[in-house]
Amino acid sequence: MPKQLNKATESIKIGYLLFVLGFAFLPLFIMIVVSFKTNQQYQANPFFFDPVSEWNWGNWSFAWHTVSGYIWNSIFVSVLSTLSTISMVLLSAYALARYRFPGRNIVFYGIIASMFLPGTAATLVTLFDLLKQLNLINSLWALVLMGTNSGQIAGIFLIKQFIEDIPGSLFEAAQMDGAGHLHQIRHIVLPMSIPVISICMIMDFLGTWNNVILPLIVLRDEELLTIPVGLMRLEGEYVKEYGQMMAGFAISSVPLVIMFLFTMKTFVKGLAAGAVKG
Amino acid sequence: MTDAALPVSPAPGKQTFARLLNRLKELSKLYMLVLPSSIIILVLGYYPKIDVVVKSMYRWVPGEVEEFIGFKNFIDAFSDPLFWNSFQLIFILLIANLFKMWPGIFAAVALHRLMNEKARYIFQVCFVIPMVIPGMVWLLIWKSFYDPDFGVFNRILNASGLMNFLHWLDGSRDVPGVMPRLASALEPLIDGPITLLFASTWGLILSGSFLLTLSGHGADKSTRHKASGIILATSLIPLLVSNAPSNGVVFILAIAVFASLMFALAKTLGPRWVIWMFLFFGSLYGFANNFPLLFLNVAAGILISEILRQTRERFNAEAKIKFIATALFLFGTFLVLFAQTWTDPTGQFELGTPAWLGNRDLVIPALLFWGFPWVGTMGVLIYLAGLQQIPTDVYEAAEIDGIGPIGMLFRIELPLILTQVRINLIFMTIATLTSYEMFLILLGPSGGPGNRGMVPGLYMFSKAFIDGQFGYACALGMVLFVIILGLTVIYNKYVKVDK
Repeated sequence: MPKQLNKATESIKIGYLLFVLGFAFLPLFIMIVVSFKTNQQYQANPFFFDPVSEWNWGNWSFAWHTVSGYIWNSIFVSVLSTLSTISMVLLSAYALARYRFPGRNIVFYGIIASMFLPGTAATLVTLFDLLKQLNLINSLWALVLMGTNSGQIAGIFLIKQFIEDIPGSLFEAAQMDGAGHLHQIRHIVLPMSIPVISICMIMDFLGTWNNVILPLIVLRDEELLTIPVGLMRLEGEYVKEYGQMMAGFAISSVPLVIMFLFTMKTFVKGLAAGAVKG
Repeated sequence: MTDAALPVSPAPGKQTFARLLNRLKELSKLYMLVLPSSIIILVLGYYPKIDVVVKSMYRWVPGEVEEFIGFKNFIDAFSDPLFWNSFQLIFILLIANLFKMWPGIFAAVALHRLMNEKARYIFQVCFVIPMVIPGMVWLLIWKSFYDPDFGVFNRILNASGLMNFLHWLDGSRDVPGVMPRLASALEPLIDGPITLLFASTWGLILSGSFLLTLSGHGADKSTRHKASGIILATSLIPLLVSNAPSNGVVFILAIAVFASLMFALAKTLGPRWVIWMFLFFGSLYGFANNFPLLFLNVAAGILISEILRQTRERFNAEAKIKFIATALFLFGTFLVLFAQTWTDPTGQFELGTPAWLGNRDLVIPALLFWGFPWVGTMGVLIYLAGLQQIPTDVYEAAEIDGIGPIGMLFRIELPLILTQVRINLIFMTIATLTSYEMFLILLGPSGGPGNRGMVPGLYMFSKAFIDGQFGYACALGMVLFVIILGLTVIYNKYVKVDK
């Protein structure tokens, strides 16, 4: 940390950060403000709250009816795919970090290399065909599977590094006591790599939650739509009621807000501890 | 990778059957552990990507038509103007994103240098909070900002008087403003000498970058001549291909010749050859209607650099060439920006309600401004993690040497987080080149008014899912993939990390 620093430079830095954050938060603020307004009120006064008596709560109840179904679909997909991702990642990361076996390098570099084979929109075409052949079109399970795939690569890369830093003697002692692989993962790897595991889980969850294109082309039925596609439909309606739209946006952010409330501390600390070294 | 963990090394001595069986059992357990991930990645990760390569040679509509047609899709792709136009937009966005990286780096440095521990933690948390909002919500809120009547963006412009400034720059249909008048004033210059000498403003940029490529240190006479010859030969390829009847054999032959020339050039020039490859593709766009001029342009460039080298001492010539090259490049860029982009008044600012996403001239500016102030959460946190690994004594040493805060940024912090910057750069580039979701959501599958917002990814998407040309979309995907691979190679070679 640089030592020489006076009040002036400190306030320049804080000023810059506040400026940046101010603009970053502006959309959020507008979202909340507008969600209580009718279109007329939005037109008249877009930036600040009206008096509480004129707040339009109807927006929120309308939005809840529209969005709540989508939320459950999204939760189903994101939770399942995060859980299956992390369990698969733990198994392979453990095996790859702890053991040398024939084919280990092929597996490891095969996984890493797929990180550098970017999927273009064209991949979507063949993927769509594949899912069709697997009979997964118009099914939430397609999204769960794809979420599981996209989380693997970074997860294995990060967690493998982490397991390699755990002292080998711990594992050896457990082996002496006759602990199998799963037992070792459960009682040594899991408790010791909580920070990096939680970061991976959060990233997976966010990735699946925010995925738009795949649900857009895979899902057909209205009642299966996930949040992003549902919001897109809401936005695409011909006559736009901005208040209802913004209330819908706000409601669909709530699950992530709740998740972050519980994991924020681990998350910031994990990142600060250099879990994402690059 | 540590070699410490080796608990199942086969024991020396006689290998009895039982021991072998035991070993096999151990191994099969390990394989079971990596099996789920491997299957998932093979089936859902690799298979679709490999299938793209295969299907790019088919006329393909899933379930209906599947007919092998060789390289026809690629031939079509190379003569598809909309596809190449989409690259123009994506390169503009890529360059813009290079500038948009800086606010994040500055924010991370400012955050890192905060003295107050508590304030630092609070700001760090604040940077995480925007992540809580789903990406779709961000996108749609920003989209609502650009709404002509309701949008916050127009209101801010109107309230701050910037709208009047834009109107002053733009003017109206009857009375052109400052920018269109500047463009029409520069027009004779472009139509006259520049078209005569360089074919187009792109020719200016090309020549500038070309001279820069040739002007390396240490390139001795024979390699320089060899490189010039090869480059001259490559610039003939498009001329030959465009005059030949378009069939697969000529096309494949041209690609083979191009590849071997590139290989030879790589041998002579070293890593710098990559620049030429990209210039070549850029020039394909710039000289699309006039390939003979490409050859002349390259020849002129070589001639200029040779003459300069003959008349002056070697060291001076190097500097001179660099100066001329930079001047050409900057002048070309200036002309493109000020004489070829804002040529006609849009007439949108007069009433104070420009439709940013609905007007063909305003789409690109709107996309460039998108996401102000361009500070991504993940970027900041990754840079911060890098900054925190800088040892304190480096700062102390710099302080003793009397380096100021700005000096520290460029001499210590940036070089030491170059690993993180490079990773962000690579991911940013790949993400920009492959992106299409945002454009699909904002502008629809046709890329908005006048296809102005059409990016390569979106073009693939709409070719496949709107027009039903799935095989053609795969061919486009292959072209894009090769370009991405090339850029990744460049980054790995040029943005070096000193350990």
